[in-house]
Amino acid sequence: MHLFSRKKEGAAAPKAEKKDPLEIFDFSGDNAIVIEDVDLYYGDFQALKKINMVVPKLQITAMIGPSGCGKSTLIKTLNRMNDLVEGCRVEGRIEIGGVDIYDRRLDLSALRKNVGMVFQKPNPFPMSVYDNIAYGPRTFGVRSRGALDEIVERSLRQAAMWDELKDRLNKSAMGLSGGQQQRLCIARALAVGPQILLMDEPTSALDPISTGKIEELCGELKKDVTIVMVTHNMQQAARISDKTGFFLLGELIEFGNTDDVFSAPKHPETERYITGRFG
Amino acid sequence: MEATSAQEKKPVRHGSKAKPGEVSARVLFTACACLSIVAVFGIIGYILYGSIPAFREIGFFNFLFGSTWTPTYDHFGILPMLVNSIVVTLGAALIGGTVGVFTAIFLAFWCPDRLHLKYNGKNAFLQKTVALINKINLRTIFDQIIKILAGIPSIVYGLFGLEVVVNLLSNVGGDGKGILACSILLAVMILPTVTSLTKNALDAVPKQYYEGALAMGNTKAQAVFRVVVPAARSGIISALILGIGRAIGEAMAVVWVSGNRVLFPSGLFSYIRTMTTNIVMEMGYASGLHRSALIATGLVLLVMVLIITLSLNLVPKEFKGKRGEKVLRGEGAQPVAFRKKGHLSMAAAIFGMVCAALVGIILATIVIYILVQGVGCLTADFLFGEQSVATPTLGPAFLATLELIGITLVIALPLGICAAIYLNEYSKKGSKFVKVIRTFIDALAGVPSIVFGLFGNILFVTALGLRYSVLAGAFTMVLIVLPTIIRSAEEALYAVPMPLREASYGLGAGKVRTIFKIVLPSAFPGIATASILAIGRIIGESAALIFTMGTSFNFSGSPAGAASSLAVLLYVCAGEGLFMDQAYALAVILLGLTLILNLIVYFIERHVRKKR
Ligand SMILES: Nc1ncnc2c1ncn2[C@@H]1O[C@H](COP(=O)(O)OP(=O)(O)OP(=O)(O)O)[C@@H](O)[C@H]1O
Ligand SMILES: [Mg+2]
Repeated sequence: MHLFSRKKEGAAAPKAEKKDPLEIFDFSGDNAIVIEDVDLYYGDFQALKKINMVVPKLQITAMIGPSGCGKSTLIKTLNRMNDLVEGCRVEGRIEIGGVDIYDRRLDLSALRKNVGMVFQKPNPFPMSVYDNIAYGPRTFGVRSRGALDEIVERSLRQAAMWDELKDRLNKSAMGLSGGQQQRLCIARALAVGPQILLMDEPTSALDPISTGKIEELCGELKKDVTIVMVTHNMQQAARISDKTGFFLLGELIEFGNTDDVFSAPKHPETERYITGRFG
Repeated sequence: MEATSAQEKKPVRHGSKAKPGEVSARVLFTACACLSIVAVFGIIGYILYGSIPAFREIGFFNFLFGSTWTPTYDHFGILPMLVNSIVVTLGAALIGGTVGVFTAIFLAFWCPDRLHLKYNGKNAFLQKTVALINKINLRTIFDQIIKILAGIPSIVYGLFGLEVVVNLLSNVGGDGKGILACSILLAVMILPTVTSLTKNALDAVPKQYYEGALAMGNTKAQAVFRVVVPAARSGIISALILGIGRAIGEAMAVVWVSGNRVLFPSGLFSYIRTMTTNIVMEMGYASGLHRSALIATGLVLLVMVLIITLSLNLVPKEFKGKRGEKVLRGEGAQPVAFRKKGHLSMAAAIFGMVCAALVGIILATIVIYILVQGVGCLTADFLFGEQSVATPTLGPAFLATLELIGITLVIALPLGICAAIYLNEYSKKGSKFVKVIRTFIDALAGVPSIVFGLFGNILFVTALGLRYSVLAGAFTMVLIVLPTIIRSAEEALYAVPMPLREASYGLGAGKVRTIFKIVLPSAFPGIATASILAIGRIIGESAALIFTMGTSFNFSGSPAGAASSLAVLLYVCAGEGLFMDQAYALAVILLGLTLILNLIVYFIERHVRKKR
């Protein structure tokens, strides 16, 4: 599935094992992400308080909670998109694939290659469908047309879009519908072969049919990638996730198997939130 | 609350492996951003250096406060010219400021989107005309009028002043030249600046202020003049200050209408000479102490303009809105009428309409006059004639202007874009350093053309030995267009949506790749606009080129050779009155180019707006 590592193996197999700087992460264990005692501050404001959480490999982990409780903030610390926010400080330890991702020596590109992200609003680049998907691989030096074609096709197939889009690869991505754009963004994220996919309310801007398609897609994808998803939609969390974390005012109130959290929440706040949401 | 205890817990760890490419790109962008600082200090330094002989031999005091200027007797006192510059500038601020501010008020509050003319007759042609007029968006038209007025080269205003304004004024007093003529021309020149900045300031006033006043029973005019205009005060003052800075440094628009006598002002029609025209008239043949005295005149001008520009930072931003806040609290606005008032406000509103109409008439007059006079002068001899030393032809000036544009843009665009990238993509919000850089960019933008000309003459022509040449002109132009390019490129970068950058970073791309592959391509239309604005500025420039590129009629074609640009050629042709036909032909061409460039910008901007 992960084309880069495969290619590298093919080319450099006989040589002595030299570690690929892009593949410093080791996902052989059961846990994809380990979050320990994480505090996060935007200037003086503490947005995350002592978060402890272990995200299991090849499962879908949902994060729920009321608006402003820090879900987006936490998901953005996982691929360090928070670095873009001025005055944002992270304390504690986050380990992904056995690597402390806030280590000074960390290669940010390598992190983000392995931990992809899909945003709330579809944000395709104003380029062709093909170039959108090829953007990531090109970032990592894939130049040959053949290899790129292969990646584009594979990613689109993975995102169940190949049949839909194979005839309009050279058309601008801006002309796609909102749902298509979002799935294209998923395909684009998949093109660099991530082990983890972060999704921040990926369906909140979409219609029910597109939402259904993306949920279905996530179910397929979890064979290959670990998914962490923020959602405001309780049914969605209940339908597709394996684990659920409930956040309130920057704290992780409850975290466990989705079935347990929804059927027998341990904390009264969780229960109130879920039942309130279900109506 | 727990922030302190948490801080003690563990050191903050951030940061990541620094990639050499990213680091050197950052250094490059920062360096380009600092270029404006270097340029401003360089200009001050060289002008100061060139002035030293004058101050040493004449004495600073005698120079500044001496009242006779007779170079043949080594009398170099600039006081009359200093006073004249100030007087005509104040006159311009008074006329242009009033018209500009009231025009802006009219545009912001009363200008209808469309006219609703009615025509019930049967004439099919008239019916169509009326329908067409009703379709035109008036605001867009005024917007364009102001942009075109801003784009018309100073030298074309100068020609218009010499041939039209002076003639009209001669019916009133004297032969028309002198203080009033200069003030009027400078007023027209600062109109676009004052109008557009005032309109921005008015647009920025929160709508609630206006609505609050209306809700208290104010008429529309009362609400506008008693609440919104006072709330926009700081912006309007800034607009006037910028206008004053422009007026005091303008040379070419007034060079032919001042009367050119070094006398103290004694009436509306007394002949004068300003500091700028003094430099333009004499720099060409001055040498030794005389030359140094002219450079020192430039220094005085530069210092005044820098003080004016820097004083912009002193305009308090806070007092904006105090009155509006009062209205929101229910004080300040006119209390519900016990006695119906508001006639004054209504009169002011009508005056605004008159001013706006005047602005339209001014542009129309200039355009029509130049076309009527000039189109017939576009003879084949002038347009396609062989170049010669004795008679002006279009060919060499056209080629020289093209080369000038090419060389200037090749240097200025990358520098300006890189500086904009630093300011928009790298700098931290509210950083002191960025504030300093912006102040210097503003300062550079405020430096008068003629001072750029002096600087280019001292550094490129003389010190670096480039002589009068397209190259020397281009290097000078780079500094002139740099602020324009930086500002509009920055605006273009700012308009690129953040999510596009996030998507790119999210895929593991670094900053440099994100900037070059995602941000810059998305900002392309804006950057194209920046280049076109720069081209307009280059085509229209004359004061800075006379003493860097030269004024010859012929041109070898090599960038190392001297040549007149189109605008400079117009100055030379009309300057001695020998080639007025050619001057008019050039005015038509310059005006045409201005209109075309404006049109291109208009279509690019419309295209972008549609896409959003
Ligand atoms: N860049 C920022 N600077 C300062 N404060 C921020 C910033 N981003 C988020 N916050 C604050 O941090 C808290 C958590 O925000 P976050 O966006 O993570 O919430 P969320 O759970 O994703 O909410 P929503 O469901 O509305 O998306 C909020 O109080 C928010 O105001
Ligand atoms: Mg969020």
